[in-house]
Amino acid sequence: MKTLLLTTVLLLGSIIGFSNEAYEKAMTESIEKLFQAQNIPQYVEIANQFERISGIEKSEWLPLYYASYAYIMISFQETDNAKKDQILDQAQKYLNQAMAIDPNESELHMLQGFLYPSRITIDPMTRGMELMPEMNKSLDKSLELNPDNPRVYYLRATMTYHMPEAYGGGAVKALPLYQIAVEKFRIFKPKTAISPNWGKEIAEAELKKIQDSLVK
Amino acid sequence: MRTTITILAFILIQCGVYAQVQISGKVTDSRKEPLPGANVFLKDSYDGATADSTGHFSFKTSLKGIRQLSVTFIGYKPLLKNLDLDSTKTIVLNILLKESDAQINEVVINAGAFEASDKKKAVMLKMFDVATTPSAQGDIFGALCTLPGVQKVGEDGRVFVRGGEGYETKSFIDGMLVSTPYMSKMPDMPTRGRFSPMLFSGTLFSTGAYSAEFGQALSSIVDMKTNSLETENKSSISIMTVGLMASSTKCWKNASLSLSGDYVTSGLSNLINKQQVDWTKSPSGVDGTLMYRQKTGKTGMFKTFATFNNSSSGMIYPNTVSGTSQDILLHSTNIYLNNTYNSMLGEKWMIKSGLAWNYDRQKFDLNQDQVGTNQKMFQAKLQFVHNMNEQTELKFGTDWINFSYEQNIRMNGNYRLPFTNNELSGFAELEYKLSKKFATRVGARIENSTLLNETTLVPRLSAAYRTGNHSQFSLACGQFYQNPENDYLKFAPQLKPEKASHAVMTWQYQTEQKTFRVEGYLKKYANLVKFSQPLAINPLDYNNSGTGHAEGIDVFWRDKESLNLSDYWISYSWINARRNYRDFVQAAIPNYVSEHNLSVVYKRFFEPLRTYASVTYSFASSRPYHDPNYSGFMNAKTQPYNDISLSLTYLMELFGKQSVLHLMVNNVAGFDNIYGYNFSNTPNASGKYDSTPVKSPFVRQIIFLVSIML
Repeated sequence: MKTLLLTTVLLLGSIIGFSNEAYEKAMTESIEKLFQAQNIPQYVEIANQFERISGIEKSEWLPLYYASYAYIMISFQETDNAKKDQILDQAQKYLNQAMAIDPNESELHMLQGFLYPSRITIDPMTRGMELMPEMNKSLDKSLELNPDNPRVYYLRATMTYHMPEAYGGGAVKALPLYQIAVEKFRIFKPKTAISPNWGKEIAEAELKKIQDSLVK
Repeated sequence: MRTTITILAFILIQCGVYAQVQISGKVTDSRKEPLPGANVFLKDSYDGATADSTGHFSFKTSLKGIRQLSVTFIGYKPLLKNLDLDSTKTIVLNILLKESDAQINEVVINAGAFEASDKKKAVMLKMFDVATTPSAQGDIFGALCTLPGVQKVGEDGRVFVRGGEGYETKSFIDGMLVSTPYMSKMPDMPTRGRFSPMLFSGTLFSTGAYSAEFGQALSSIVDMKTNSLETENKSSISIMTVGLMASSTKCWKNASLSLSGDYVTSGLSNLINKQQVDWTKSPSGVDGTLMYRQKTGKTGMFKTFATFNNSSSGMIYPNTVSGTSQDILLHSTNIYLNNTYNSMLGEKWMIKSGLAWNYDRQKFDLNQDQVGTNQKMFQAKLQFVHNMNEQTELKFGTDWINFSYEQNIRMNGNYRLPFTNNELSGFAELEYKLSKKFATRVGARIENSTLLNETTLVPRLSAAYRTGNHSQFSLACGQFYQNPENDYLKFAPQLKPEKASHAVMTWQYQTEQKTFRVEGYLKKYANLVKFSQPLAINPLDYNNSGTGHAEGIDVFWRDKESLNLSDYWISYSWINARRNYRDFVQAAIPNYVSEHNLSVVYKRFFEPLRTYASVTYSFASSRPYHDPNYSGFMNAKTQPYNDISLSLTYLMELFGKQSVLHLMVNNVAGFDNIYGYNFSNTPNASGKYDSTPVKSPFVRQIIFLVSIML
């Protein structure tokens, strides 16, 4: 009886309109798929889903955030540079829409900082000079809005690791940054169940890899 | 129990209302190719699907009534379509998406043009490539000399394009004229450009048949675009074997200010690098540059660019022609100021405007004689661009140049040679894209000169046709007028403008990493200045009866992917050119033309060594010269020209700051290049005309610099 009643309530809910619950359910499912995606078609499919959700939930920045994130992930896999730029244009489009909804969200500025490195890899020599400062600006802004955003620390650590030693990069310099990032992830609590909460595992794995390489 | 039944009934009713509609179909582009990944969904609902690898999609919906179906895909225009979900249970759709206009595979009008840009995606060169070409030694014009269509004229340093003289190439900054783009030069010594490549984010170099926006250039234009609004505060200092340099940039929300200055002296460098010149005063000078950028409103941008240069040098010049040695001392001052303002006017109109001012003063002391030259140029330009619709763009504008020249000569008496010219021009150009494959541009330019008392009207035409995904075919032609050089006008202001006609045909294949381009051209000259002897004072000695022609083939190949971590480009030009101008007794190949020119530029980053290495090899076949010891005109030929130049850039940390060590070596192999010969005016005792070879001031030049970012 109880189950039946619940089902009815749920159904009624869906008839009246998309309840908050439906939004969260759709998001939860999609986010799960997003972080399981392996290849470009899977990412595209999931990005499309977020685009559809964002069409209904016009005041939510999260669907756009994840759509943009999916396209940044696609850009990492794409090998054709011309297409890569187009993909990043798409990611930027979603991100701009999200920023218009909430310009003071730390995670959105972090994602902007996450987008630039992919642009730079297309033409490091010329774009590096132009976009590195832009990237730093975005990450600074993100930390200003949330000084404990672990993803900013993680991204800074990765960038340092991959930078030539001559420019203050390398494993030795990156190690303490990774340690701070992992600590920030440890204490991080996402605002809601569907808020951005990625990066912990990879940060830990990379920290371990660097520690191992330095021991050798 | 009753409640349960009611609820069950209710659910059943709801299920009836919820009868689902199946929507399926295929998404393709205009060539019927499937578009996997396209997003097909009902607007404002979760119901939708992604097209699979064959372009097919299928989904169910419980929605009712008239709903909007939305189809989106990257690089394509989004499509909206009304669906009636009440009338049927299955809907099958064939959806065709049109490419959005921003696709890079679109046809572009580009015959004759080489573009270096950091902003655009598909260009042949980046400004970074220009700055790191070893044979250029940081000179923009030097880097252009590695492109096809440009002659190697080692004793001059200016850009000689397709059989044209150095003065036939005009330089612009943000579309505004620079009347003195090169440093003042000593006789037989190469000059270089005044501006550092670091100041610019792009250069448009056209070797022929360019837009009606530009006039008063017979052969070529170089339009340099200054950097946009800076976004980062930064400072740097550089110490070089040839001087000191410092720069600093400060940014605000909508504005930025950059200042740079240098002191250059080749004293130390002349000691290190063996000189073939007898310097009495090593070339030295100070430069200052200011750039201010201000964003105004949503789309407006105001730019100020100002440079100042003061330099001097002295040498003993063995003047073979007159048979005496000259003690030459040169002092020069140059100021260039340029303000531009560009903004959108509504959605479809754009305004571009600018004011430029150039001042140049040169003072030559030749033994006890003196020659002083002052030039002043003021330009005002106004231009409108109107995007009439997606296919059509109209551009028109006007341009006024006031130029005054004055030369004072103290040589067995005092002479003053002044003239002033007002040049008023107007131009209009219409670009029309018939389809994604075919575009045309039609334009005209009218120019009126008060000094020459002459009005000219010239047409410009170009068209481009896309032959494949990455290839296109282009055609361009046009007529060009240019006033005679100042050195003739000062004696003979009654001269008419010189005239050239160009026809250019190009085929180009371009991907992100590779470019192949072949261009053929025909060029005809008329109204060239002719005279009976150089430096004739009588105006009637000058007339416009000179003629000439040039035809040739230019080939360019650049490949950034085939060789690991390497990037190289090869330029080859073949030219056949003849002229009967100046004091020529008959039509002949002018002395700056070599039939074959080749440049190979190779760059590679050695990651473990943190070193960026570049090598340039340049070859030019022999150049003609006139030897009065033999019969005939332009009867002798020089040896071919060869040069290998090298540069190494090493990235490091100095005092905890990012730093760059840069080493440049010109003519590594020490080729003894001879550009031509100067012959004495009068025969010696044995009846022979003595000669001296014209050579580079140094055999090999090594420049070393350290830059520290503060």
